[in-house]
Amino acid sequence: MNEKISRLMDGDLETHEVDDVCAGLTRPEALSTWTCYHVIGESLRGSVVVGIRVSARVAARLAAEPTVLAPRPRASATPATWAFAAAATVAAVSVVGWTAMSLVGEPPAAMAKARETTVASAVRGRPSNVPADYLLAHQEYAPAMAIQGMGPYLRAVGTQAADAPDDRP
Amino acid sequence: MRAQRNAQRRVQARALAPLVLGLWLAAAAARAEDATQWIARVAQAARQLNYAGTIVYQRGNRVETSRIVHLSEGGKEYEKLVSLDGPAREVVRSQGEVRLYFPDAKIVRVEPRTFRNAFPSLSPEQQKSLTQYYDFRIVAGERVGGHAADIVVFEPKDGLRYGHRFWSDSATGLLLKARVINERGEVVEQFSFTDLQVNAKIDKAMVEPSWPAVPPDWQVKETSAGDVAVNDTGWVVNRVPPGFTKIMEGFRKPRGRRNPVAHIVYSDGLVAISVFIEPFSTAPVPTGMQPPQGGLNIYMAKQDDNLVTVMGEAPGATVRQIGNSVARR
Repeated sequence: MNEKISRLMDGDLETHEVDDVCAGLTRPEALSTWTCYHVIGESLRGSVVVGIRVSARVAARLAAEPTVLAPRPRASATPATWAFAAAATVAAVSVVGWTAMSLVGEPPAAMAKARETTVASAVRGRPSNVPADYLLAHQEYAPAMAIQGMGPYLRAVGTQAADAPDDRP
Repeated sequence: MRAQRNAQRRVQARALAPLVLGLWLAAAAARAEDATQWIARVAQAARQLNYAGTIVYQRGNRVETSRIVHLSEGGKEYEKLVSLDGPAREVVRSQGEVRLYFPDAKIVRVEPRTFRNAFPSLSPEQQKSLTQYYDFRIVAGERVGGHAADIVVFEPKDGLRYGHRFWSDSATGLLLKARVINERGEVVEQFSFTDLQVNAKIDKAMVEPSWPAVPPDWQVKETSAGDVAVNDTGWVVNRVPPGFTKIMEGFRKPRGRRNPVAHIVYSDGLVAISVFIEPFSTAPVPTGMQPPQGGLNIYMAKQDDNLVTVMGEAPGATVRQIGNSVARR
């Protein structure tokens, strides 16, 4: 099941398997795996660790609702793939999983967050093709630069500037 | 009798029209001046004051906290920005040169100088755009990070730009909070001081990098060392969105690149949109909209044998329109 969840998140699951796995996510342990993997993915990608607490109440709520989870289009997501490979490591699961479980989040908010995270990672998982030089060159001319001082650099202190390619292959 | 009165009124109206128009223009000019003055004041405060504080930056569902220290000494500026959560990141600005440290990747990026030194110098066109394309107003203030703030709103009059809301310190003019709002009224990006000491005692040591200028075994990446040669690139944007004027055109020689890259910048006084044009390599590059960077939208398009990259703090449609109308002059 865990492997299937991982493949679902990675968009690798065959269409006929999707319904099964989504139905399976109504079980608390499966849902907690789903949450864990997302938190792991997020933290490995350097994003903020979202506070998601999977409680019996969430599972019950989810069971009562129609399944809205849909497989996301396959993204050539190298960081995500790497993250889920790492998720297999027991140590990673226990450490990050503990963090995830110890954070308290309102269940409905957590649900929304988990959904949002899925969407966001589909977009963010794609490595950027934009050279870092361009991002920094652009900033020089943004009038906001003058108004906000170092403000625009807050974008650069995200992961982008280190990850972005210097040159096109 | 009635016809006569109406005629009289029309004459009066005609006589008054130039006066009304004159007053309206004067009011518009005054608003443009207000907006420009406000920007100049905030920019000056950011440059000249000594301050230290904690900034919370949000974009999408990401929240990042950073520590910022700024020192202005003998007309020279020093600044240090350190990320407090997530991977360690450090940006140090010293007399115009910017160094970005990425300790996990052992990379230091060096940006030789910034445009900011030349600011504030909005062109008359940019000043005009500010009030022609935005509703500018100062609304009742509120407190941010323990400081009384004025709220300044730039509300777009069309769908081609984002809305901007700024909170500036009533006492010093320093920007305390900034928010970018999209066409659906959602916050795209926001930064806010959670604590701030203005006119704080700042030692030089507090704005120095935590690493040597170039740590041993780190990789140095010099950003666009070749700088910009300002001239006619031979490229033109045929459908520049209203309110945007060209503020720069030239060639860049990015490090490690064989061919110079054409760089054209448009601005409406509040935001900038950059257009980069370079010979297209054979490698498959997914074109179209790229993952946004907070309020920054990025679009790539092929133009014959060239790759066009457009980025700006404007809605995707605006950035796309520019990208799709790049042509040889």
